[in-house]
Amino acid sequence: MASRAPIRVDRGSRALITSRVVSDEDEPRDGGRRASDVPMDLLKEREAFVRSFLKKGVEYTELLLRENRELREELDEVRNENARLRSQVASDDAIRDLLRTVERLEAERRALLDRSKQLERFEAEHEHRQAQIEQEMNDLANLYVASFQLHASLSVRRVVRHLQDMVGQLVGADAFVIYVIDDAAGRIVPIAHEHVEPSEVRALELGEGPVGEACMTGLRRLRELDVHRIDRSDPVAVIPLLADGKPVGAVEIVRLLEQKNGWASVDHELFELLAAHAGAALIAANLYEQAGGPLGALRHLTSKL
Amino acid sequence: MAELSCLVVEDSPMMRQLLVFALARIKRLHVTEAEDGVDGLRKLAQGKYDLIITDINMPIMDGLKLVKRIRSDEAHKDVPIIIITTEGSQEDRQRAMALGATAYITKPIQAPQVIAKVKELLSIE
Repeated sequence: MASRAPIRVDRGSRALITSRVVSDEDEPRDGGRRASDVPMDLLKEREAFVRSFLKKGVEYTELLLRENRELREELDEVRNENARLRSQVASDDAIRDLLRTVERLEAERRALLDRSKQLERFEAEHEHRQAQIEQEMNDLANLYVASFQLHASLSVRRVVRHLQDMVGQLVGADAFVIYVIDDAAGRIVPIAHEHVEPSEVRALELGEGPVGEACMTGLRRLRELDVHRIDRSDPVAVIPLLADGKPVGAVEIVRLLEQKNGWASVDHELFELLAAHAGAALIAANLYEQAGGPLGALRHLTSKL
Repeated sequence: MAELSCLVVEDSPMMRQLLVFALARIKRLHVTEAEDGVDGLRKLAQGKYDLIITDINMPIMDGLKLVKRIRSDEAHKDVPIIIITTEGSQEDRQRAMALGATAYITKPIQAPQVIAKVKELLSIE
């Protein structure tokens, strides 16, 4: 490529060369004179012209060489520029590819974040549900144990003890009194109490105070607010004990444990259990003891079928 | 993983059964029951335990005396002891801790609370 670089020729210089060559060739035809016949000044003029011509030729050659070199340099520059532009175009393509990849990755990242948030919600719901199930299992275990223990014993003392455990340790009552109705005396008599002064534990008339009312009506009484206030005229809870749907006694809760700040759903279940089973358990244990044991308690059973 | 053993000393059958129910949910934990402090000592003499849970208020021998006896027994002096107490009986709780009890649970007991405490003391995941 470099050897075929075009040579630019100045138009003025070409005209000068042409005119001088023509005049030199024509010279012998003008009269047929020899060099020796030519006057000295003319010879000097011709020599000066030749010198000038050669000098111009050298200058022109140098000019051409210089221009050639410059053109080569320009060509190199253009080639470099071309290569740079080509690589830029390539890198632009790469950037476009990268941008597309970034967009795709961003979309994937958003999808993953959404999925992660979804999983977090699911996990929180799962944990909440698990806690609920744990609580339900705990509540069911409490109910099962309370029911089992109430009916597992046929000793009046043990049944009363289980009742006390149930009220004190499962419900969380700190001070309470358990009453039964003494039908013969027409009164309500206390049979057990915890953390209540003995002087404050006495028999009641049917209909007397909240306990007397519960023993008459069979209706439960619960104070939902201000559960730590101690007021015997308005106890925090009075649970009637029923047998065959009729009241046979009651549990009066005077004070709750410090850490208990209200009624849980399982407490209501325990009260249901107390109301429905405690009276029956007391009656069964009492009859069993009166009958003098299992066989005595079964006496006359067949005649009742 | 080896079996772990736990002794539950509680005079109330209801509470004892509740504790056994809760502890049954911990895998590889074998539970032995004792009705009071004396029964507890008898069971301790018959075998080794990794954990003891005891009530404070019990007839014949209460939980405080039991804790004291366990700590003076070479075979069980380092066994963790959980005492069961009511929130109000801080004095008993402090005395039990001073005698060597490791932790306490307040009544009314909740199974998750018992399970968490037992797992913590036995280093169960």
